[in-house]
Amino acid sequence: MTQPPAAGVERDVVLLTVPADGAYLGVLRTAAAGLAARLHFTLDEIEDLRIAVDEACAMLIRLAAPMATLRCRFELTGEELGVEVAVSAAPEASPPATSTFAWKVLTALATDPSAAFSERTATIALTARRSNGEPRPGARYAMGDPTENGG
Amino acid sequence: MELRLATRDIAGYTVVEVRGEVDVYTASVLRAKLVEVIDRGAGNVVADLQRVDFLDSTGLGVLVGALKRLRMRGGDMSLVCDNEKLLKIFRITALDRVFALHGSVQAATATPPAPPAG
Repeated sequence: MTQPPAAGVERDVVLLTVPADGAYLGVLRTAAAGLAARLHFTLDEIEDLRIAVDEACAMLIRLAAPMATLRCRFELTGEELGVEVAVSAAPEASPPATSTFAWKVLTALATDPSAAFSERTATIALTARRSNGEPRPGARYAMGDPTENGG
Repeated sequence: MELRLATRDIAGYTVVEVRGEVDVYTASVLRAKLVEVIDRGAGNVVADLQRVDFLDSTGLGVLVGALKRLRMRGGDMSLVCDNEKLLKIFRITALDRVFALHGSVQAATATPPAPPAG
């Protein structure tokens, strides 16, 4: 879906809905990588985005109601790719936990990720930016126990 | 199935070769294989990740879980990884300080394994 450019800035919105099932994570990673390539992200930036989208979607799949779909919205704006992923949560599900190892990986790889939980819909949003070839500051984080993901 | 696993014994090490993508969908297959080799008595495991195209936090969790399981039994696990994309996720999670990372299976198995502790 393409929306008309606003104020001279190219802005495309791509919507992708898949079953909330881990089997579709590869499809979402590939879609995210393709869109980032379209914005001329570097290979490193594309890989960071692939992992960030995977982590966000995997977190939501864990919360999903039976037969739910994962709704992904990609917004391409100049040098940025905004990603918003939402799922209908199971009745017993808690909001997306931002204390998990997965969330910390997501935070290291994406700009300003945020999680929301409203009317039984869990949402994670994140932004990826093109660096224009400038090296990004190296990030190194001491993190918690990755086995807390159930891994 | 996006994940293929093969096991071989080299110089006292059990080498688990992992091919494909390790994510929420496939991590349980890797976990089951590592638990199987550890429960079968392997004390020194090498996970060969040279042909892994993708690894997320769930995959990292499986590797850390296997390392814990081995260390509880006096064993150890090292990783073979020469892919900068994968090495980056080990660095940003500081797990490069937890695992011994080698550039080749030959390097990972060059030194005879330590006898089981305890």
